[in-house]
Amino acid sequence: MQDLENEIRSMIAEIIERDPSEVTPDAKFFEDLGVDSMMALEIMAAMEKKYKISIPEENLAKLTTLRETVAVAKEILEKKG
Amino acid sequence: MLLKDKVAIVTGGTRGIGRAIVLELAREGANVAFTYLRSQQEAESLCGEVEKLGRRALSLQIDVRDFQKAKELVEKVKEDFGRLDILVNNAGINKDKALMLMAKEDWQDVIDTNLTGTFNVSRNAIVTFLKQKSGDIINITSVSGIAGMGRQTNYAASKAGIIGFTKSLAKEVAAYNIRVNAVAPGFIETDMLSSLKDEYKDAIVKKIPLGRFGRAEDVTGVVKFLLSDAAGFITGQTIVVDGGLFIQ
Repeated sequence: MQDLENEIRSMIAEIIERDPSEVTPDAKFFEDLGVDSMMALEIMAAMEKKYKISIPEENLAKLTTLRETVAVAKEILEKKG
Repeated sequence: MLLKDKVAIVTGGTRGIGRAIVLELAREGANVAFTYLRSQQEAESLCGEVEKLGRRALSLQIDVRDFQKAKELVEKVKEDFGRLDILVNNAGINKDKALMLMAKEDWQDVIDTNLTGTFNVSRNAIVTFLKQKSGDIINITSVSGIAGMGRQTNYAASKAGIIGFTKSLAKEVAAYNIRVNAVAPGFIETDMLSSLKDEYKDAIVKKIPLGRFGRAEDVTGVVKFLLSDAAGFITGQTIVVDGGLFIQ
C-alpha cells in the first residue's frame, strides 16, 4: 500500500509539475495543488498505463486527493486480482 | 491505405452521405461501426459491403438523442474493436416547415437529433481520445447552418450549433492531438434532396455555379482529406462543399 502510494505520488507530482513532498495524502488537487480537469485525466491515464487497468470514467470525479486516488487504484487492482 | 486498422464510428450510417462515408473509410482500411435508427435491412447489406472490402463492420440500432445509448455505443465499439480513432457525427434529420407552422416537436426532434446527438456521442468518445492523445472528430453540418434557409429554422439552428460546437471543442482538445472539423454540404443527391419537387430542384441547380448537384463522393473526398496527414494543421474549420452556391 505504501509502495503504491509512493508510486502514485511521484506520478502525480510529475504530471502536475510539483515536488512530491507537496502531494500529501490529503492535499486537495484542485484547491491546493492547482490541478485542472485535464491533468486529472492525465493522472487517470498514467495509472491505467502503469498498472494495466481500466478505470471507469465515473471515477474521474473521485480523484480529488492522493488518498482518494490511491483508494481508486487499489480497489480496481484488487478486483483485477 | 490512409486509415489502415483504424477504428471509426459513423452515426446515421445507412443512408445518403453517412453510407458513403462508411464505405469510404472502409476502402481506406478502417474498421467501421455505424448507427442507424430504422433501416435495419440497409444496415445489414452495408455490413456485408464493408466486409467484402476486407474490413470489420458493426451496425448498432441506436437513437443518438439518448445519452446512455451513445455511451453504450462507444463502450461496445471499444470492446469489439479494441480501440477508437475516428468519430463522424453524421446522424441528422430535417422537418422543414415555415416557422408559423412549426410544432414544438418539429423543433425539438431536429435539435435533439442533430445537435444534442453530436454532443452525446462526442462527449462519450472524448475521454478515450484525450487519454490516448489522438483522435479525429468530423461533424457533418450544412450550408443551411451558415447561410440560412427558409423553412429550416430548426435545421439551420442545429447545424449552426454544430459549427460552434466544432470550433469550441477544437480549441479545447487541440493540445491533446485531437482535431475537430466540420463539413458543410450544400445540395447533395441523397434521400433528403429527393423529397424536393422537380421544379424546385431545377431552380436550385441553375443557381449552383458548378452547374450540378453534389454527389456523396464530393463529401467523402473532403472527409478523407480532413482525416489525412495532409490536413494535420487544420482544426476547428468548416469546409463547405456546395458547388459554389453560397460563396461568402
